[in-house]
Amino acid sequence: MAVDRRMVGVFGAAFVLRLLLICVFPSLPDLLTGRVEVSTPVNSFKRLQEGLYLYIRNVSPYDGGVFHQAPLLLPLFSLLPDIHNNPTPTAIIYFTVDLVNAYALVTISESGQSIQSRFHSAIRKHVRWDGVSVAAWFLFNPFTIATCLARSTSVFTTSGILFAVSNAVGGNSINAMLALGLASYLSLYPALLFIPLVLLCYDRVHQTSKQPPKAALYILQHAGILVASVAGLLALSYIITGNFWEFMSATYGFHLLVPDLTPNVGLWWYFFIEMFDSFREFFLGVFWLHLASYVGGLTARLRRQPLFVIASLLGVFAIFKPYPSISDASLYFAMLPLYRHLFPLMRYTFFAISAILYSSLLGPAFYHLWIYAGSGNANFFYAITLVWSLGLSILLADSIFSALRDEWEQDNPDMQGAEIKQV
Amino acid sequence: MTAKSGDSVSPSASAFTSDSSKSTKRVPPPESSESIQTRFRVIASFWAVIIFLGFPIWWKTTSIYRAHLPIQEMVDWADGKTCRPVYPLEIHVAAPSLQLTESQHLLRTTQHTLDDLNEFAAHHLRLKLANDTVAHTGDDKVDNLDNRPSDADAADIALTVRVLPEEGLVTPRSELQAHTTQLDVFYPPSQIPSPSTSNPPLSTFIAQELQRIYGEEKATIAHILSGESSALDSTSPELTESISRRLRRSMQYAETYHLSFSLFTPGSAPSSWDIEAAIQEYLAPLLHAFSPISNFTIDTQVQLYATFSPMTPAPVYDEAESAWTLKKEDLSAFINAAEWPLNPSIGSGPTLNFILYVPDPSQSPMIVKENRASSWIVPQWGGVFLLNPQLEKNQANPASLSQDSLQSAFKTFSHQLLTLLGTPSTPASLPLRLQTLVRIRAASLLLSASSTMGSLARLTESLPSIPIPANVASSVSITLSHLSAACSDLREGRFNAALASARIAENEAERSFFEKTMVGQAYFPDEHKVAVYLPLLGPIGVPLVVGLIKEVKRIVAAWKARRRAAV
Repeated sequence: MAVDRRMVGVFGAAFVLRLLLICVFPSLPDLLTGRVEVSTPVNSFKRLQEGLYLYIRNVSPYDGGVFHQAPLLLPLFSLLPDIHNNPTPTAIIYFTVDLVNAYALVTISESGQSIQSRFHSAIRKHVRWDGVSVAAWFLFNPFTIATCLARSTSVFTTSGILFAVSNAVGGNSINAMLALGLASYLSLYPALLFIPLVLLCYDRVHQTSKQPPKAALYILQHAGILVASVAGLLALSYIITGNFWEFMSATYGFHLLVPDLTPNVGLWWYFFIEMFDSFREFFLGVFWLHLASYVGGLTARLRRQPLFVIASLLGVFAIFKPYPSISDASLYFAMLPLYRHLFPLMRYTFFAISAILYSSLLGPAFYHLWIYAGSGNANFFYAITLVWSLGLSILLADSIFSALRDEWEQDNPDMQGAEIKQV
Repeated sequence: MTAKSGDSVSPSASAFTSDSSKSTKRVPPPESSESIQTRFRVIASFWAVIIFLGFPIWWKTTSIYRAHLPIQEMVDWADGKTCRPVYPLEIHVAAPSLQLTESQHLLRTTQHTLDDLNEFAAHHLRLKLANDTVAHTGDDKVDNLDNRPSDADAADIALTVRVLPEEGLVTPRSELQAHTTQLDVFYPPSQIPSPSTSNPPLSTFIAQELQRIYGEEKATIAHILSGESSALDSTSPELTESISRRLRRSMQYAETYHLSFSLFTPGSAPSSWDIEAAIQEYLAPLLHAFSPISNFTIDTQVQLYATFSPMTPAPVYDEAESAWTLKKEDLSAFINAAEWPLNPSIGSGPTLNFILYVPDPSQSPMIVKENRASSWIVPQWGGVFLLNPQLEKNQANPASLSQDSLQSAFKTFSHQLLTLLGTPSTPASLPLRLQTLVRIRAASLLLSASSTMGSLARLTESLPSIPIPANVASSVSITLSHLSAACSDLREGRFNAALASARIAENEAERSFFEKTMVGQAYFPDEHKVAVYLPLLGPIGVPLVVGLIKEVKRIVAAWKARRRAAV
């Protein structure tokens, strides 16, 4: 793909905007790093600093129970100059990662898989944005900018997922699995994307090659690649930390058992604060199964559009994963513009967007009332996270509905534009 | 949030109203077999997660683990069916001046008299010739030597009676040594019992002496074993009263006691005391002697400007005594509990507080009005000692209290400690008193651990919903094995070993009874589970269940139709 001028303009503008923000407001990154909406225990840059400090001094980074991120981030960040004296190189790296993510989005969009795939061809093909516009939606999304400035490590997970998808739509299935392996290694939950991703790869192979391989064998092969890539990363981590079970329990055990109930924009923390101790394990199981059960259902229902399944699952994760932050929402919002052709079919966009805006404005205010002013309590903030999740859920449900409607209209061309009633 | 799972299922089942421009109703297009199959797959995938992952997790995380407990055995212990504690005290008799036959005769007759006197069968004294006498006097008693048990199994020797002749005595007399377990009996040489007499006066005398020495212990153990109400018939009411008073005053048994020594003074002096040396010198030997029974930790503090509380009646100057006096009934208000920093408990064990109060020179000397005493015990709490330094007129208190000036205080504290720990007041010999305490503690710990076992058994029977973790079961089995070890040790007369086992048994029994995870569930009735499950699982479950029912109906209908077509 030729590098066109518009793309350079958008990417350059996004870079300059970020640079301007940290130059004009030098304290902004540290402020954002401390916000619970942006930094959760599993992606906080502050906690990474703590782990880095211990790592550089040859102490196990997981001592002290503050750091819960993947060990491979440590040697990477230890190469960077000291963040307190010289924060710019780190910031530039994060900016670059954002631009790279945006480039992956451009690739996905240009492939056209979102409107035309093996089994499916959208009816409103002409209603779409090109790759650069989709990248612009991602790069100028305030949630993305906040995540980037806060130097949250979830941007690396985002990269992993976006590159997995962009490689998959490009037909490069092995790279897709490797990228998914990196994302799963960093944050565990992307492993749930395996089934739709491998179906996406498979459909892609079907479209291009004359003699497609057998489905079961293909899936098994790719599962093997994914497992091998994760195992390789784990082996590297073992070399770095030297204590396998310590880092496993401090990272994946932390993701699975949710011991840190610091408030965040998700639904888990309040629920588990209130939970009776004896039922804690049971509801941990329920919550994780709830998260995982969407994979099968959505994949089966939307078998014709695996890319849309991935996008919807990212939305589900942004709502229901144990430590969500606005970076997860920004990833979902990055995938949505690929489905510009579904927007005319959506019914509750106004309500969903109002709820999201309302909660993103009131959330910080209520958090301030609760923690700093002391005139509110935990319910204030929890209520606003409920509204946030409600907004995302409406958006998600509405987009799934319109995707189904799109499929249905494809099956019944005579019913286009007919009013429908759900029973 | 759950509507979405319904959404992903239901739009394919949507019905469609007609175009408003046309009046005739258009029938929605029939569902294709493909979409029916898709719906089946969606429902199946949700239910597969529920059945293959959800139910195992539910089963694993909410099933109540109840380890097997030997309920019957525990109840038997509590009812006292398994073990009847007996106290065979081994008493060695050494009569170096007597012939072997004579001493054997003496032993036999004394034992006979003792058995006649004894009315509490569980506690009996067994006389035995001391080994050195045997070895010394005869080679014809080789079997006696062979019977001598090996050291590990040897019964504790409770007391050694040395029978010694002394010229110029008319009647026998006895002397109990205060620092050893030895009773010296002196007898006039004329009273050497001849083998023919059946009831020589010397035997009677020794028996009565022994009876006297162990009278209080016997009464106490009878009191503990038989409960509050019934004591021995022969016990005098005064003795019963003093035993129950002592039991009231003394602390509950604990593995570790915390001793807190505090110096309080209303002024600025004395501001230091030579406490470490004093404890080393006066208290450490006693604590060492106590080590088989309990452990101790110690802390000390000095509090200056410690005033009485406003409620306390001020001491009154008594001209006749030329001293400031406190009334006996006011002593309970002496300690200013609100302001004096006397920590109620540090760590796990109970705290015993010992207060050394140095009155202000203007109120010195200070004594108790009724009996001129300068110390008293606060039952189950500690002791107070009023230290009045020897002062000239208008002289200030010394800035520092030396080790010597603390001697009287620490002697008193030692006595108070003995009392607070439940040591009997007789006999005079401290080793004997401690031995008695060992036996008393072994009895009470045995009973208390047994009754805890019984309570635990009743608890597990009556609350079927509480979990019983594996460590409770192992604690119970440790308790039971140590209880039986303690019981057999008692039977063999090894009281120190019995106490050690009983201590472990008591510890484990308490640990199993107060297991944290058991208690949490005890207050969680089954009805609450509805409130736990329904709010989340209800909304999730309804669309899933309805979807499943619809799907099953469809499959059944299709199956019937196919059968009808086949027929």
